[in-house]
Amino acid sequence: MRAATTGIEYACARTDVQKRGGPDVAIHGFMLVLARAMAVLGGIVLTALVLLTCVSVLGRGINSFLHWDPIATFMPAVSGWLLERGVGPVWGDYELVEAGIAFAIFAFIPLCQITAGHATVDIFTAYLPKRVNRVIQMIVDIVFAAVLILIAWRLFEGMMSKKQYNETTFLLQFPIWWAYLISLIASVVAALVGVYMAVVRIAEFLTMRTIVQAAEVDH
Amino acid sequence: MTSLEIGLTSFPVLLLLIFLRVPIGLAMFLVGLFGLYFVTDGWNMALSRLKTETYSTFSSYSLSIVPMFLLMGHFATLGGMSTALFKAAESWLGHKRGGVAMAAVGACAGFGSICGSSLATAATMGQVALPELRRYGYSGGFSTATLAAGGTLGILIPPSVILVIYAILTEQNIAKLFLAAFIPGILAAIGYIITISIYVRIHPDSAGTREPIPYAERFRALADVWPVLLVFLLVVGGIYLGWFTPTEGAAVGAAGTGLIALVNRGLNFSTLIESFLATGRSTAMIFFIVLGAAFYNGFLALTQVPQELAQYVTSLGYSPWVVLAIILSLYLVFGCVMDSLSMILLTVPIFFPIISQLDFGLTFEETAIWFGIIVLIVVEVGLITPPVGMNLFVINSMDRTTPMVETYKAVTYFVASDIVRVIILVAFPSITLFLMRILN
Repeated sequence: MRAATTGIEYACARTDVQKRGGPDVAIHGFMLVLARAMAVLGGIVLTALVLLTCVSVLGRGINSFLHWDPIATFMPAVSGWLLERGVGPVWGDYELVEAGIAFAIFAFIPLCQITAGHATVDIFTAYLPKRVNRVIQMIVDIVFAAVLILIAWRLFEGMMSKKQYNETTFLLQFPIWWAYLISLIASVVAALVGVYMAVVRIAEFLTMRTIVQAAEVDH
Repeated sequence: MTSLEIGLTSFPVLLLLIFLRVPIGLAMFLVGLFGLYFVTDGWNMALSRLKTETYSTFSSYSLSIVPMFLLMGHFATLGGMSTALFKAAESWLGHKRGGVAMAAVGACAGFGSICGSSLATAATMGQVALPELRRYGYSGGFSTATLAAGGTLGILIPPSVILVIYAILTEQNIAKLFLAAFIPGILAAIGYIITISIYVRIHPDSAGTREPIPYAERFRALADVWPVLLVFLLVVGGIYLGWFTPTEGAAVGAAGTGLIALVNRGLNFSTLIESFLATGRSTAMIFFIVLGAAFYNGFLALTQVPQELAQYVTSLGYSPWVVLAIILSLYLVFGCVMDSLSMILLTVPIFFPIISQLDFGLTFEETAIWFGIIVLIVVEVGLITPPVGMNLFVINSMDRTTPMVETYKAVTYFVASDIVRVIILVAFPSITLFLMRILN
């Protein structure tokens, strides 16, 4: 069995490109940089959401502290001044987390794709000949690419219908299609990297050599 | 074919795909997609679901806890918390027979209290404790087996990513599940420590000894553990006391561990990027399985298979305990080949309706929580069961000098300890439910 590990030492998700020049290495380098850049972008958004949520928790804490009887009674001026300036939870933080986290997750998919990080069960296929395994790997990655394209396409349609009906979020009232749009961009990159991986697997099958090794726990 | 037949046919098809090394999330997605096609006799339903399903799965507020906990685990490692925990435990226990191994288990339990993932705990503690174990003359297989088993504490002791998923699947309260996992988690650590002391008595050559350390030094080592305690109390305590939602708790924990890592100079630009990449890769893997499962379970619900199956099993009139025993054995078998998250997502929607209709003398909520904890333990046993337990591979790959067979031999003791614990927890539900009952 193989699963992407969460240990930091497997973090950098190394892929082995055979040490020689040529256009395919350049393309692989580009795709890898693209996938990593998306993942880092997702990480930045995730961190921003973490901080936003902390600010909101803190604001809510201070807010209830100011409303607390002893404070409200003995320091009405300070308390009132702060409350008037809107010390409290971040308005609509929940909606921002939802929109942001969807983008982050879509942005993480390319890296998982290019490093073959998806969880699989390979105890039975280990007994099959290498050639059969390559065929399986090729078919899986072609289907995966198709599914990622399907997801991106349906996400686009979803975005269009949200736009058509002018759906907005409850509190912040921002159009939901904006959130769909940023997710769609990441989803298109995921589909692109998915297609690239399918091409890599076809090339691997035809030439019978390994271009991209899964960054798996070797055993 | 009726839709019920289509639903039932989907199981073997899904298993076949998974065993042919189709990524588990992709396999569930595909079977769900084609299943919907056959049940509704066209692509319209599947395509219109996909318009919103991917986005709504990925934008779930309660699931956003998962990447936050993963990030928190990475920051905790960077902040040197794993090292501090091991040093403290080692200074108190190291001179005892098998003490360094016991210390490793203790440190795993401590790290589990700020990390929600089993593999991450095994990998992190492996890096810290494995060299020390070998230095003090502990045999290879014993060392790797101890750490692989200790890693499972990461998921059992709250916070736990899998419990979050279980809570969402069964619509249970996350805080209560965390609370219920606490005693079984401690029991697991104690069980492993007893296992170690039995092991070193049967195999006296497998562990070296060292001189005791002066108490002053021990207390100094213990004092370094305070950030772990602080983060744990803040996150789990805060969630339980209702200061914040579980997602907010995860955010506070991630920010807190990040701050500690920054102060301890473990967090800089390059380690931050590494944490992002590692968190991202695991997150994508997890959410693709969650997406596949959402799609597959949506299809399955349409075929009514879970309800029909639950009614069928109840109509057979077997004792609830027999049904439970059969379900748990299935988990043990599948745990040998499949990762725990996929197993939970795949099986809970089918098994949970069955279990919730059986009478174990508990309320519905108690049954749900108790079953969740036991399933969690049983799937975690799968992580250390030969031949394909994930934790075994993670740890074994760190120690090239130890053959896998040695790890297999030693880990059977820990598996035995796990099975004893499962039997105890099944026989006495009140052990699991105790904390939840008195604190409510």
